[in-house]
Amino acid sequence: MSELIENLSRRNPAIEGLLDPDFSQLWSERTRTAFFETLQLAILGTASGAIAALPLALWATKVGNSNRPLRFAVRSLNNVIRSIPDLLYALIFVSAIGIGALPGLLALFFFTIAVVSKLTFDILDGIDMGPIEAADAAGASTTQRLRTSVIPQILPAYTSFVLYGFELNLRSSAVLGLVGAGGLGQRINFFRGRGDWSEVWGIIILFFLLVVIIEFVSVRLRRRLV
Amino acid sequence: MTTTATPPPTPAAPPTGPSPALPSKPFDWPKLAWWTLTIGLVAWAAWQLDAKWSRLLDAPADLWTLARLMFGDMAWGEFGKLLGEMWESISIAWLGTIIAAIFAIPLSFVAAENLVPKRVAILIRQIFNVLRAVPEIIIAIAFIPVFGLSPMAGVMAIGVGSIGSLGKLFYELIEAIDDGPIEAADAVGATGLQRLRWGVLPQVLPELTSLVMYRFEVNIRASAVLGLIGAGGIGSTLALSIEFKQWETAGLALIIVVVGTIIVDTISGMIRRRIVAGPPGTIDNDDLTDELPPEAMAAAEIRTV
Repeated sequence: MSELIENLSRRNPAIEGLLDPDFSQLWSERTRTAFFETLQLAILGTASGAIAALPLALWATKVGNSNRPLRFAVRSLNNVIRSIPDLLYALIFVSAIGIGALPGLLALFFFTIAVVSKLTFDILDGIDMGPIEAADAAGASTTQRLRTSVIPQILPAYTSFVLYGFELNLRSSAVLGLVGAGGLGQRINFFRGRGDWSEVWGIIILFFLLVVIIEFVSVRLRRRLV
Repeated sequence: MTTTATPPPTPAAPPTGPSPALPSKPFDWPKLAWWTLTIGLVAWAAWQLDAKWSRLLDAPADLWTLARLMFGDMAWGEFGKLLGEMWESISIAWLGTIIAAIFAIPLSFVAAENLVPKRVAILIRQIFNVLRAVPEIIIAIAFIPVFGLSPMAGVMAIGVGSIGSLGKLFYELIEAIDDGPIEAADAVGATGLQRLRWGVLPQVLPELTSLVMYRFEVNIRASAVLGLIGAGGIGSTLALSIEFKQWETAGLALIIVVVGTIIVDTISGMIRRRIVAGPPGTIDNDDLTDELPPEAMAAAEIRTV
């Protein structure tokens, strides 16, 4: 405890930087590029992950997959994907294929699958069975049944989950760079390593202004969808 | 954006199809606009992102090599030590969640519009919004100089970081309660605190506890990650063993993280279901799914950083 008080009373450059943030990095070419890279990572990661998450959610339910062992396998796969945090994905991919934007993209891809497939799977539990029975009665194949009576029911919710996943991805894409997976985190790490805390907090504050604005729009869109 | 709010105003086009009885569908312009915007953004991102796409072809082989290194011959000698560190991660998550709940519960009472004036509620909500927007790992960066490279930094980062999302879930819960008990408390002359104690708290306590457990599950993932920057737990060992290419240790640590997280999720999910549904046989438990309603989950930040 006394150690804590001593630490608190000592000069703390990290906290001093927070009180005196430096926004001049907005004019730096490299930081701007990193800003855009973060946005691009979030967009691509969400888009690719969302496409992969839909079948993974459908195959984990009875309506989309009549084969019980296969269903169990898909569910287990979803659970494993879900249990690894995004920064850990980034760390694994960085050590497998080297630093850069690609491991960051792969990390966000899996993270999006984790979030979107879980939420979509939950909503699939509560859908109306009427249209499905109708499709079955008309002799639909599994694909036709999914296309005509399942997907239309979950589409608004699914879209809102994808938007939600985008919000999460945007936030985590900024920290992926801490382990070398591209984006704004690399700049944060660079200034952190040099001890330029004013720049660190300047970048972080600017980025979270952007996040808040995008989230504001996204939350309104989501509300209208559901 | 406003154009999509109204249904497409296009009047039904004159019948052109083979059957005059069926007018053709009006063209859905807003839908086209949204699709164009989405695909345009994705195309822009794919075009601009300097991802060295050719490496994507080598990625499966690279990953296979890494998997063989990690899981081929794991360092079972370190099993006990790693298990202890996973336990530390779980403890960090638990302590952090409790600290967050202690702050979030009173704050959420003054953020609920049915208990305090709207202006106060909106002000308090801004605190939640700011805390929610910042990833735990950024908070940890600020706390490490204060608490040192120790689990304490992780606990505080998770504690402060979870106040925002817990608070948001709590006040949404409080705003949905039944006014009856509050009116009854007022009628018998309850003071402000008694009103909360007898009119509000009994109504929200089960769901409140369930949301705390849910946040604990989220925080397990966060605490595994916090170790990467030195804030204690199994993440530190994982990051160091990857950095120094001790793949045997890294593989085992990764498996412990995955299995440990799934086990804690399962137990916590069972507890949550029991809290909300009561003992088996009390009410129709069949109506309850395993998890919270998806919208609550979505609101609850499934973020792991």
